[in-house]
Amino acid sequence: MESMAQQIMEALTIMVLGMGLVFIFLTILIGVVNLVAWRCAPKPSLAPLAEASEPQAPRFPGVDPKMVAVITAAVHQYRAKA
Amino acid sequence: MDGLIAFWAESGIANFTGGQLLMMAVGGLLLYLAIAKGFEPLLLLPIGFGAILANIPNGGFTEEGGMLYYAYHVGIETGVFPLLIFMGVGALTDFGALIANPKMLLLGAAAQFGIFATLIGAIALNAVPGFEFSMTDAAAIAIIGGADGPTAIFLASKLAPELLGAIAVAAYSYMALVPIIQPPIMKLLTTEAERQIKMEQLREVSKLEKIIFPLAVLGLTILFLPAATPLVGMFCLGNLMRESGVVDRLSNTAQNELINIVTIFLGLAVGSKLSADKFLQLETLGILVLGAVAFGIGTAAGVLMAKLMSKLSGGKINPLIGAAGVSAVPMAARVVNKVGLQANQQNFLLMHAMGPNVAGVLGSAVAAGVLLAVLGG
Repeated sequence: MESMAQQIMEALTIMVLGMGLVFIFLTILIGVVNLVAWRCAPKPSLAPLAEASEPQAPRFPGVDPKMVAVITAAVHQYRAKA
Repeated sequence: MDGLIAFWAESGIANFTGGQLLMMAVGGLLLYLAIAKGFEPLLLLPIGFGAILANIPNGGFTEEGGMLYYAYHVGIETGVFPLLIFMGVGALTDFGALIANPKMLLLGAAAQFGIFATLIGAIALNAVPGFEFSMTDAAAIAIIGGADGPTAIFLASKLAPELLGAIAVAAYSYMALVPIIQPPIMKLLTTEAERQIKMEQLREVSKLEKIIFPLAVLGLTILFLPAATPLVGMFCLGNLMRESGVVDRLSNTAQNELINIVTIFLGLAVGSKLSADKFLQLETLGILVLGAVAFGIGTAAGVLMAKLMSKLSGGKINPLIGAAGVSAVPMAARVVNKVGLQANQQNFLLMHAMGPNVAGVLGSAVAAGVLLAVLGG
């Protein structure tokens, strides 16, 4: 039975070590991704442009925007069910 | 007359053992689940058929010289098949959602708790007479909690080849059962109000960021966890082929033809490990139970971590997405989306859940690397 307790202690050590390493590794990766984003993220000037262009004109000319919303919701609901 | 007797002595009917019939029934069950129920058919169909082939008396498929023997020997014993699959998965994975919101990596890390908790569970199960899992066995079983088929097969082939059949079947079965296992756990651990939280739209991600990401992951792995480089390296190669945009032909092959070809042989080879003498043991039952526990704990840990992050962020994160931290891509993310929609018809969490989901793939690969490094492959 002693060896059993020993084994569980060993497993516990691996657990703490493993979770610690996984967290440290992925935390460093968060830092790296943020660092890369700081240098290489798309210029924010692009974002408002895209936003502004969207609501201007209906994307489907000739179709009531309300109708588009209804159809979109229905499609989403249908897909969620499938 | 002698010829007839010789023919009879060689026939299947004369040579069946009870175990073989039972395992053929198991193979038949897997085929049924794949065809009639649609559970992971791409894998369960070849695995089920492989199980039937492997248990044909006098068939010789799994003996030295037989086709399944070589499929296993060449592809799985060496770890080549799961790694090729991992490359394909890398080519299929879009890290955009994760790069836009890198904090989601923490959820992918938290969900790996299922793996390490099950490690203790597997050792504790040794207290029950009839079970004798070594530490390496326990680690190979625990990785089922990562809900990542190729990782589970890779680790099992390195640490506990004799348990590979049961582990692979458990891993893929639970991946198929994600829509059944996860929602009750997710609902138990979150309140109605939390499930309704809407999340901000993700920012756009530049092509350069997407190209740098696999290289950064590979770099970190080289520095800190070389044991994980087979898995992470192939994964990053696939992803770089996808994002670089200059080798579309290779990328397409990796995510279509190659992954399909490998899947056929991987399934058959895993199925060949479902022979009666290896599979019909008490240990298999233990592995199936432990796998389910690992999966449940992983889901719960992910949701709890997301809950914590939600509290810290002032309610900007929907805790449901934590469940996607287990790496069953994209099934877990779809389940999150579905449960989110049940709480709020307008709440589409799919893109937000893809972040933790692909983080989970990295997380389980890292966890596998840690287990390999500590326990020696």
